[in-house]
Amino acid sequence: MENRKNSFNGIKPIFYTIVFEIKKQRRKFYFFSFIAIIVAILLGYVLQLIPGYLLSDTQAEFFNNGLQFISFITLFSACLFFSGIICSEFDKKTGFIVFPKINKYKLILGKYFGNLILVVSIITLYYFILGILGFFYYGGPINIRLFYSYGIAILYVIALSSFVTFFSSFMRSVNLTIISTLILLLIGFNIADQIVTLVFKESFEPLYSLAYLGNLITGILEYPFPDPRYSEFSFSGMGPGGMGGDFSFGQWVTPSIEMGIALLIVFIVFYFLLAAYLFKRRQL
Amino acid sequence: MIKEEKVDKSEIVLKLENLTKRFGDLTAVNNINLEVHRGETIGLVGPNGAGKTTTIKMIAKILRPNSGRILIRSNHSELQDLNKISRTISQIGFLIDIPAFYNMTAYQLLRYFANLQNYPKNKINQRIDELLERFKLSEWKYKPVKTFSKGMTQKIGIIQALIHDPEIIILDEPQTGLDPLARVEIRKYIRELQSLGKTIFVASHMLYEISEVCDKIALINYGSIIGFDTVENLALTLKTSELNCVLLEPIKPSELEPLINLLTERLDPYLDKDLDPMVSKIPVKYYPEQQGLKIFYDGRNESKGDILKTLIKEFESDFTVISFTQPRTSQLERVYAEMVKDNDSKEKNILNKEV
Repeated sequence: MENRKNSFNGIKPIFYTIVFEIKKQRRKFYFFSFIAIIVAILLGYVLQLIPGYLLSDTQAEFFNNGLQFISFITLFSACLFFSGIICSEFDKKTGFIVFPKINKYKLILGKYFGNLILVVSIITLYYFILGILGFFYYGGPINIRLFYSYGIAILYVIALSSFVTFFSSFMRSVNLTIISTLILLLIGFNIADQIVTLVFKESFEPLYSLAYLGNLITGILEYPFPDPRYSEFSFSGMGPGGMGGDFSFGQWVTPSIEMGIALLIVFIVFYFLLAAYLFKRRQL
Repeated sequence: MIKEEKVDKSEIVLKLENLTKRFGDLTAVNNINLEVHRGETIGLVGPNGAGKTTTIKMIAKILRPNSGRILIRSNHSELQDLNKISRTISQIGFLIDIPAFYNMTAYQLLRYFANLQNYPKNKINQRIDELLERFKLSEWKYKPVKTFSKGMTQKIGIIQALIHDPEIIILDEPQTGLDPLARVEIRKYIRELQSLGKTIFVASHMLYEISEVCDKIALINYGSIIGFDTVENLALTLKTSELNCVLLEPIKPSELEPLINLLTERLDPYLDKDLDPMVSKIPVKYYPEQQGLKIFYDGRNESKGDILKTLIKEFESDFTVISFTQPRTSQLERVYAEMVKDNDSKEKNILNKEV
């Protein structure tokens, strides 16, 4: 009984930090929730009102179209919620007040889970609206693959959050963390993927890339699941003066479900543990 | 009504042993040894960059020492190495550097901090109200701290250090940004905490604030403790000490010169023979604005009594002494200046030898 009480006392600071962090970030949460609602309604409802725009044939296709922007929402929300999670304590010197009061591991866990609850809620809100609209257009039941996609999206946003947290653990300022993680996630990984695919073609799958793993969110909605997952497009070029030639362009569409989920979990754990370790070592 | 508490002042609650912190080539704290007893108020005094804040940061586990250790006694147990205690030290309240807060209201912040330090849940609101009222911030309870002035933020910084009613209170430059009235309030509050038996450790370069509230002073320069004792004992190291006598009535200008000459003659056995001209050119001086005399004597305790006797008996017809004091602050200022000067020249010599 005493042991249980002690262990509860041990995790209480994490709980207090979660609650405090949720309150602290509430404005950001309202803003992103608003954006998520607007984007979901725009893609799922307003777009269908445009004359000549055809409603997708199946509910799964409708969800697939509606989820085109999900990676942007997850990416921006992860970057803006998590970029200051560690470095702001050093940059803004709030650590002087809070570090003597709570163990750093508990602090990072509390802040991480607090922000995660908000980011996951934003994603949930987006899927919820899309689900409601899918039901509105196609009737029930909701395609089970939307729930799979939702699960993957949650894993993906947690992986992104861990990645940004890792950056926050060694970056000097919040703004620098936002900019560098956004550049890496929006452009860096995509450029690297294209170079890797251009060089290695189908012999090397860019599983290191968070952007590539994110393809599984929409990939899982396709029925049947893309097979082969690597596709190559060939063009016969006719350049000026009869010059030109055959040109082929390859692309990895999506990771396999098992590998995607496993790697997302590995990234979540790896980046978070690394971030926590660096945070513990960093001195103010 | 504050209930005074008796504490065992022989018990060491905080001990710094050969504590050293280096940042690259710079030694910020150099082999510091210090013992703080329960119920004592210790002042850590030194110029900017002397190592005060670095020392406090190591006690708060914000910085790791390169060598040496910090020992702490929690709840009358044995002294424990701070490095080996994994939990946070909830019996210490810290104010480190200029406080910076998250953009939340004073209430939300203080409630969070009290919760983190395991302060009884049912008493948190009462404690917050009590402290906000004590520091005249009750009206600002639900306002975001980012909208506070510098002085108000500093007060919240002090409140957060006290919110869980810690046994040991460590304050780094608590007077920064405060107006004179607020400084008086803080001094008053520190005295109240003293009467409650709290152990207080204050770092500052404001000598007056320190000399007014501290039992002992640790002088720090170039990361080393160059003196640690009561103000009175530290003053014994001075070649010259001063006494202030306030007179009932002013001395007439026509009588001033012969009177000062007579005073110098009569008090001669007790006066400082090698008075530093930087301090004063003459050993007995009259200050018309203060309506008082300043006497530079040889610093011996017995001389003080003899000077007072001479002034009362032999100059009864010339003036009436209504106050006879030895100013702590000016003494501390001079101890500080001399010790820092000595230390500076030693450091320079070492540097020159190294070059």
